[in-house]
Amino acid sequence: MMLARHAEDLFWAGRYIERAEDTARLLDVTYHGLLESPLLDAESAWCELLELLYLDQAFEAKGLPVTASAVTEFLVLDPDNAGSIVRSVARARDNARNVRERISTELWEAINTLFLELRARDLRADLEREPYQLYGFVKSRCHAISGVSAETMSRDDGWRFFLLGRMLERAEMTCRLLSVRFGRSSAAIPSDVHYWIAVLKSVSAFEAYLRAHRAQIEPQDVLEFLLLSREFPRSVLFSLRASESELVRLGGEAAPSRPERLLGRLRADLEFMDIHELVESGLPVALDTLQHGILGVADAIERHFFRAAVPPELHVFESV
Amino acid sequence: MTSDLFTDYQHGGFFDEVFDPKGEIRPHYAPLIERLRALPSEELLHRARLRDTILRNLGITFAVYGEAQGIERTWPLDLIPRIIPADEWRHVERGLVQRVRALNCFLEDLYLGERAALREGVIPTWLVQSSAGFCREAYGIPVPHGAHCLVAGIDVVRDGRGVYRVLEDNLRTPSGVSYVLENRATLTRVLPLVFAQHRVRPVNHYGASLLSALRHLAPPSASDPPCVVVLTPGIYNSAYFEHAFLARQMGIELVEGRDLVVDDHIVFMRTTRGLSRVDVIYRRVDDEFLDPAVFRSDSVLGVPGLLGAARAGNVSLANAIGNGVADDKAIYAYVPALVRFYLGEEPILPNVDTYLLWEAEQRAAALSRLHELVVKPVDASGGYGIVIGPKATEEELAAVRKAIEAKPRGYIAQEVVALSRHPTLVDETPRGGGRIEGRHIDLRPFVLTGEKIEVLPGGLTRVALRKDSLVVNSSQGGGSKDTWVLAADGNGAPV
Repeated sequence: MMLARHAEDLFWAGRYIERAEDTARLLDVTYHGLLESPLLDAESAWCELLELLYLDQAFEAKGLPVTASAVTEFLVLDPDNAGSIVRSVARARDNARNVRERISTELWEAINTLFLELRARDLRADLEREPYQLYGFVKSRCHAISGVSAETMSRDDGWRFFLLGRMLERAEMTCRLLSVRFGRSSAAIPSDVHYWIAVLKSVSAFEAYLRAHRAQIEPQDVLEFLLLSREFPRSVLFSLRASESELVRLGGEAAPSRPERLLGRLRADLEFMDIHELVESGLPVALDTLQHGILGVADAIERHFFRAAVPPELHVFESV
Repeated sequence: MTSDLFTDYQHGGFFDEVFDPKGEIRPHYAPLIERLRALPSEELLHRARLRDTILRNLGITFAVYGEAQGIERTWPLDLIPRIIPADEWRHVERGLVQRVRALNCFLEDLYLGERAALREGVIPTWLVQSSAGFCREAYGIPVPHGAHCLVAGIDVVRDGRGVYRVLEDNLRTPSGVSYVLENRATLTRVLPLVFAQHRVRPVNHYGASLLSALRHLAPPSASDPPCVVVLTPGIYNSAYFEHAFLARQMGIELVEGRDLVVDDHIVFMRTTRGLSRVDVIYRRVDDEFLDPAVFRSDSVLGVPGLLGAARAGNVSLANAIGNGVADDKAIYAYVPALVRFYLGEEPILPNVDTYLLWEAEQRAAALSRLHELVVKPVDASGGYGIVIGPKATEEELAAVRKAIEAKPRGYIAQEVVALSRHPTLVDETPRGGGRIEGRHIDLRPFVLTGEKIEVLPGGLTRVALRKDSLVVNSSQGGGSKDTWVLAADGNGAPV
């Protein structure tokens, strides 16, 4: 048992750290993928990335041309963009500061240092000169945060909410990635092998995939790997299973909570699914359903744990 | 290199804690000074850097209002501890216990009793009613065992003759105790050998003592053990570090107003498993922000309905509501009379001589020698608004004179106390080389009202780091010292 507010802060700290890391990786892969494959259409690659992050409309509203420098600046350092890396890190740090007393000093320092160093850097110059270094810096710091949390925090409810936030964000991110890449009519799915290499790299899955499938890069195998791998820690199934085991532990001996039931059903549907059936029955709809399912779980967690058991009439002032 | 940092030391005509007027070392300081004299100044500076590293790593900071980014500063701790011998401390301790007993009696009498002190003219009724800290809403709110001042911080100074006097009472949400514990933890690491030569009474049981006092305050309906929480205004409060520290020391939840909810006059906290009942709240939120349904409706720090729950006897608040009336600087002048009235005893610790400016004769006397007195607003703390006559300009004196004439109830005037001085390491930078000079100090001991009244040995010694300054508040450039109370049979002798 812990304060609902503290649980919420830890959950969101986890989500924002994951979001910052995923955004950095996606940018890295898109940027360098374009350099390696000059035949790809740069503008549509950037548009796809923005769409994937749900930021296409926000970017459009800025009225800027879709160029590498405009999009990367928007996603890395734009203070007006709620989804930019600097904003995600700042929000993770705000959340961590609110629960400063519940997390280990090492975890606080890891998050705070990332925030301070991003603030101290000239990010615009970094993006021009050495984007690779910058993305690598963000990714490795986020990994360090994960590692530090695992090595220094007691496995109490606070830790579970932090991990739950990360895993659920990751499941959603990978799912969205698949949705954008596969969520169109099969004729429109690119067959260029470089495209799929980039997709795999954008979730750090390239090497793991090669080990599992040798160098046979087929779109459907990529889909299956990222959706259903039981071993690879960024697949949708893996992230959902990890989320589920934390939820079960949070529930203790009590009957399964609503978020637990929703997630259990979602995970089971996914786990025992046949990939060929899935493709035949219509991939876009299936991925969309999965994505909504994940959002539904996040929403149920919010209601069940963070807004717990307070009937609205209690907010009304009492006369004394 | 001078091997002896004390060679040029001047006591400057003040009462010096270490040296007597003839320049001889007082016996209880002999082992410490001998040890320090043996240390080359480079070594002392090295220790000072070690101390800063420890404090920074522990994150021991304080916030200063009105300063933008980077408002957290590292806590200034002087390397040279203050030592209080056992017999001297026994005297201070008895005086503090007596004073807090009387203050608890006064608050119980005023808010829950017959108001005997007012009826019998010990203290003027109008003076009590005009106090900013007087709180009508506190009438009838039960306070188990009459423990109104569960935590009291009584500021004590030593005058030119070394007499311990009470300078002011802090009975609302006194802060600083976390620094007492951290100062000790830091100094034992920085000067382990010096420490080992003395038998110093420990302070690290404070969390346990505080929790046990808070549990003692639980209402009869409470669960066993009672659920106790610390209520903080939040991370932007200057004392947040301390709130979090105390919650951690006691192993209890640190809550904000929005974590609590009142239903049918019962207080609950919102947890991940639903609502959970709260019995005692150690609140570090001021009275007027506690309950927006009763006090400031714009307050987001408090909990609507909290006072109703307290009034129904379903939750206890520490410190109790309305304590501000008893630490009003005008009421302060009457505390010795309250001691005599409620306890039938002579006060053990005297006050500083105080002019009551609403009395025409005393006002005239004070105004005629304002340049020799200290003038304080009755309802401010933290050293804000104080005018020290001997150091004030003509304009400042004229302004304060006008303010007093306009609102005599708003101020008191006191004799300037020539605060005792203590050798202090100054100019610590490598270039400064480090010197030891006398600096003025005071002392804030912490007094807990639990099953019995208990004083944490020592307290927070604050140092006016600026040369000749008498203002010790950390918000005004003050530092601190670890404060060692020697065990009864120790008197400075090694274990």
